[in-house]
Amino acid sequence: MKLDPILIEIFLHKVTAITEEMAITLQRTARTTYVKEAGDFGTALATPAGRFFAYPKVLGVSGFLDSNVGPALAAIDDLEPGDVILTNHPFASEGLATHMPDLHLIQPIFHDGKIVAHAWNFIHSADIGGGVPSSISPRFSDLFQEGFQIPPIKLVKAGVMNKDVVTLYRANCRTPEVNLGDIKAMLAALAVGERRVQGLIAQHGLDTFLQAQGDLAEYASTKALAVQKLIPDGSYDFWDLLDDDFNSKVPIRVRCRLTASNGQVHLDFTGSDPQVLAAYNIPTGGHRHPWLTLKLMHFIYSHDKTIPLNHGIFENITVEAPRGSIVNPEPGAAVGVRSATAIRLNEALVGAIAMAKPGLMPAPSGGIMIPSVLVETDSLTGERNVMVLQSLVGGTGARNGADGVDGRDSSLANQRNTPIEKTEEEAEATIVDYSLRQDSGGAGCWRGGTGVTFSVRIARSGSAVLGRGMERFVFRPWGMAGGRPGEKARVVVNRGTPEERELGKLDIFYPQPGDIVTIMTPGGGGYGDPLDRPAEQVLSDVLLGYISLACARDDYGVVIADEELDRGATTALRATLRTDRGAVPAFDFGPERSAWDAVFDDATMTDINALLMRLGSNARPQRRRELFERVVPRLPQVGLLPMHEAIGDIPEAQARAQAELARLRSEIESIHAGS
Amino acid sequence: MSDASYRIGIDVGGTFTDFVLADVPRRTLRFHKEPSVPGDPSLAVERGIEALFAQNGITSDEVELVVHGTTIGLNAIIQRRGARMALVVSKGNRDLLEIARLRLPSSYDFTEPREVPLVPRDLVFEIDARMKSDGTVLTPLDPAEVEALAGRLKASGVDAVAILLLNSYRDAALEVELATHLRRALPGVLITESGVIWPEVREYERGLVAGLNAYIQPLMTSYFERLKARLKGKGITAPIYITANNGGTLSLETAEARPIDTVLSGPASGVVASTRVGNAASRKEIITFDMGGTSADIAVCQSGIPEFSTSTFVGDFPLMMPVVNVGAIGAGGGSIVWADAQGLLKVGPLSAGADPGPVCYGRGGTEPTLTDCYVVLGIIDPATFLGGRMKLDADAAFKAVDAIAARLGFAGPDRAIAAAEAALRVASAKMATEITKLLATAGVDPRTFALVAYGGAGPTHANLLAEEAQLTAVMVPTAPGTFCALGALLADVRRDYVRTARHLIGETPVANEAWMAISQVRQDLETEARAWIANEGDLIGESDIVVSFNMRYLAQASELEIVVPSHLLHDLDHRSLGDLFHAQHHKLYGFSEPRVPIQTATVRLAVIGRVAPVSLPSVTSSDPQPQGERTVWHGGRKWDAKIYARSQIGHGARVTGPAIVEQLDTTTFILPGWQAEADALGTLHLTREAA
Repeated sequence: MKLDPILIEIFLHKVTAITEEMAITLQRTARTTYVKEAGDFGTALATPAGRFFAYPKVLGVSGFLDSNVGPALAAIDDLEPGDVILTNHPFASEGLATHMPDLHLIQPIFHDGKIVAHAWNFIHSADIGGGVPSSISPRFSDLFQEGFQIPPIKLVKAGVMNKDVVTLYRANCRTPEVNLGDIKAMLAALAVGERRVQGLIAQHGLDTFLQAQGDLAEYASTKALAVQKLIPDGSYDFWDLLDDDFNSKVPIRVRCRLTASNGQVHLDFTGSDPQVLAAYNIPTGGHRHPWLTLKLMHFIYSHDKTIPLNHGIFENITVEAPRGSIVNPEPGAAVGVRSATAIRLNEALVGAIAMAKPGLMPAPSGGIMIPSVLVETDSLTGERNVMVLQSLVGGTGARNGADGVDGRDSSLANQRNTPIEKTEEEAEATIVDYSLRQDSGGAGCWRGGTGVTFSVRIARSGSAVLGRGMERFVFRPWGMAGGRPGEKARVVVNRGTPEERELGKLDIFYPQPGDIVTIMTPGGGGYGDPLDRPAEQVLSDVLLGYISLACARDDYGVVIADEELDRGATTALRATLRTDRGAVPAFDFGPERSAWDAVFDDATMTDINALLMRLGSNARPQRRRELFERVVPRLPQVGLLPMHEAIGDIPEAQARAQAELARLRSEIESIHAGS
Repeated sequence: MSDASYRIGIDVGGTFTDFVLADVPRRTLRFHKEPSVPGDPSLAVERGIEALFAQNGITSDEVELVVHGTTIGLNAIIQRRGARMALVVSKGNRDLLEIARLRLPSSYDFTEPREVPLVPRDLVFEIDARMKSDGTVLTPLDPAEVEALAGRLKASGVDAVAILLLNSYRDAALEVELATHLRRALPGVLITESGVIWPEVREYERGLVAGLNAYIQPLMTSYFERLKARLKGKGITAPIYITANNGGTLSLETAEARPIDTVLSGPASGVVASTRVGNAASRKEIITFDMGGTSADIAVCQSGIPEFSTSTFVGDFPLMMPVVNVGAIGAGGGSIVWADAQGLLKVGPLSAGADPGPVCYGRGGTEPTLTDCYVVLGIIDPATFLGGRMKLDADAAFKAVDAIAARLGFAGPDRAIAAAEAALRVASAKMATEITKLLATAGVDPRTFALVAYGGAGPTHANLLAEEAQLTAVMVPTAPGTFCALGALLADVRRDYVRTARHLIGETPVANEAWMAISQVRQDLETEARAWIANEGDLIGESDIVVSFNMRYLAQASELEIVVPSHLLHDLDHRSLGDLFHAQHHKLYGFSEPRVPIQTATVRLAVIGRVAPVSLPSVTSSDPQPQGERTVWHGGRKWDAKIYARSQIGHGARVTGPAIVEQLDTTTFILPGWQAEADALGTLHLTREAA
């Protein structure tokens, strides 16, 4: 670091404040709900090369700190003062935009004819055309279905708005007025950023300003490296599974090999599944990318809360994301619901860090984000009213030293919920339950946070309930260091009545008036041996209703009678359970994934994926599905049927898997021999 | 009684209880500071009044009004020392306080804990009763269930109960019916109904208004009763008013019923006093700067009126009621100065507070604070701090700051001075960025604003901050250390009301009908407000009504609050209200949509009862002579700063920086290149010298 330490500290406050003032300006004047209520927007200042050296601490989306505006700018060869670049293109921007409702604006900041920084912002806009209102659905199989593609272009040229671009844009979204209002807010925020940067240069001089960009990154990098050195040297493999690929019940596997060497971290995602014909692909451009490093950032920040938020945090991290895989799809792949995959991928990263050293990371959270939606139809006019019922998440995972948080989860978006009274203002339907889900948190010396139970009583005929982002219906949030997994998600209609029916993971469901639809979200994983949890705490959990008496006895070995501990019986029961059970595993995945991993172990999956990658990207999905359905014939019933039951006898399934692998190998070898 | 002409303003703080005595006809103010008695705050009030009476030779029957501000409620919430209480909710809503608004405090830090819920889960009771969003009853009370609930509440031994039944913001009848049963069954237990205390949509936030009210009500009621008894014991029969969050005051009786209205009143009173001092000097655009031991707070006032907020926090909890918008911007005099592992200098967030306090207090503090830095730089004189009542240990301060200088890698004999100055620069830079952001939130230009500095450290740091934030003026009132007590004396009686009125207005077939309904809600509110103010005391003269509407375009996500200008209040119709909305929307977003129907959501109303004003006293003119000189460090060099006594500064007095003005309760630092001039009230106006 070349500047004096006082000046660096002062610059840190000043440049952070600029990005926060940009965020305030944007939030104050933007129109879409995503910005106003959910905070789905971002602002930053980037170096001339395109990496963020300043980022807000509390405003907007936390997760895009490691973005790079460089590739989007490289697409423009005649940047001049007053230009503003617009893009939403996941591939042309090489992963700056990660799905198309996200509009990104970049304004190069010139000083004496030279680019000295860039102001950047993005918002999740209300709609960008495509097959459904709001432009996101898992069912889309390519990018063209997801809406209007905008490669990096000049929205503003030398200070003059490009009206043709605006006309074309207006014609291609369902809510042109709202979207244009948002763009005006974004431009106002960029103008604030550029004005403040010029003020900073006037006060401190250009050389100091440029030097501060480098020094701040170096400062962050030094701090990050100190934290990363907590990870012992070595290579650690971990993977996690999405329930299915939407078109079939074949799970999607994301795999991470973390290699640590004196604090330097390399993340290799080789062995992750090929890209899919659904909107679950993550467009990263194959570079280090915010979605690939998110949990490392949380790890670093949680261990050093004074670290400044800039790209320096990531400078000791390299990644490998193979092209054609779900973490670096070929251009044209659908990407709308990439967050579902990113959550799983980052949990694989958590697992890899935990393998290196237990206790460095919390167990995974419920790991879902469901914007549950209700559609009501007016019986007279036929008009449809679409409203968000609730943003549903699970609880957070436990960690060494703390229980998980019940019913909340900050790990991905950290959004606010919708008050019941606000929902009922809009809907005829009634919210009859929104409460913590007893016994859903993974048992452990530290208990995983519980999920929630959310129930709505339908009022109108012709209603529909939708919920994208439904995950963890098949595989559980896993437990760590002897902790148990959390409960899976469920959707049930008319729970507790003779008409009770398990719906499984739903895309869209058409209930009858009077039906009660209940969504139950997963609990976070537990940490540490549940038999080590102090009996008083288990008693307290029972009295407060987080767990049932049965759970206290079966999972924790704690016997309670008349709201009092039976200490003798507890000691005896815990001793018996301990003996019967033997050593606790480092990770407890639950029976579903244990069965799946036994059949499709890492070596087999790596072989299958390597072979599939030798097929053309369009031929892979069908061949892949065939293979898995031949090994597990009852796979299509999974969802209502637990995975381990669908698999049945494991040795038999293992034999089928090896046979299918051999068949695939010979097929592919003959294709390649023939060509 | 007829010649009663004195008013007393009282502000209870952690260290001192401040008093201001106003002689209304003779236009004089007298100030007094009494050490607080944390175990029994009313005792310090009694002692202070005795002292005031003795010092000024007045008797209890000469007092016409006592206005009192207290942080007892706020402290009880922050320290979780409130009542053992229960929350009663509708069936299915038991985890209102557990799930809260879902968002966790940090998106980055998985070690950051959630807030501890106001009521533990086993004291939250469900009852199968609730309203619909149209204001009708969905599930009525079942007498057997009510009886069972009363039994469970009794068994739980609670002192207070808050009731939140879903959709009671539309009509509180169901909550009131339940409360009536419970009051009968649980004598002595204080009960708050959400739809009575603050009928606004959003169950978590409204539940907290009711919950926090119930949480502090037993404590506040007993404090107010003790206060009343003590004042009565001194022979004071004058009415007692309590300062409120909205910058107004309430009668003691109202404050006992609605203590939640008073929890954030302390900072609000300082802002009220600032606007009075500003208005007297024709400075209507001000930023208040209240810097004490642990934090610095600011508020923006435009056109002489404080900005309000409906999204503040009390401790960990959001408060949806309108309050004077006071925001914390960081360091106080006790904030700790330190260096991190990479050798960067940091100020705060940890504070040495009042105990042990800064190193120079010699009470066991070992880590240097901003106050130690003022001492090292010569800004504060260790011999005259608090009028010499507390001798400061300058050597200890120097050593502690010198240790930081070593960690920063500074060298040379003056390295401690360099480190002390660096700490003030870092603190100023941080506060200046917060001011910039706050003004951006309000959408206003900083250059037209003056900083009004008060609190123990406010005048000491204000000029440094103004320089860094590029503000052009600083104002230091005559008694910055008792400014909140003064604000209490200057406030009018004020209460806010809210009701839901969701209607489409504009050119729709049912526009007239909708407008009738909206007007009815507004009329009902006004009737209620006027009835209340009529019973709020005899000192109140005229009262004013302020009306605003939360509105949006149909299907728009967010609302705008439209304040109705007073000249439109009488003949407001849906067209003129619609025009106001379109204009405001255009101002904010750059466009309006005249063809889209407009929906009203909420009607807000404030009633302000004017109390015959206290005139701020004028000071005589003077030409002050410096009492001496001392060396002060600033900008990396030594300066010979002239020292003045504040008591010598009269109307028209001019002081050229570098200079220091000392008074009992604070030290004002005037930078080189700045000068100060006192106005008719004695307020010092610091401005940059013309180049």
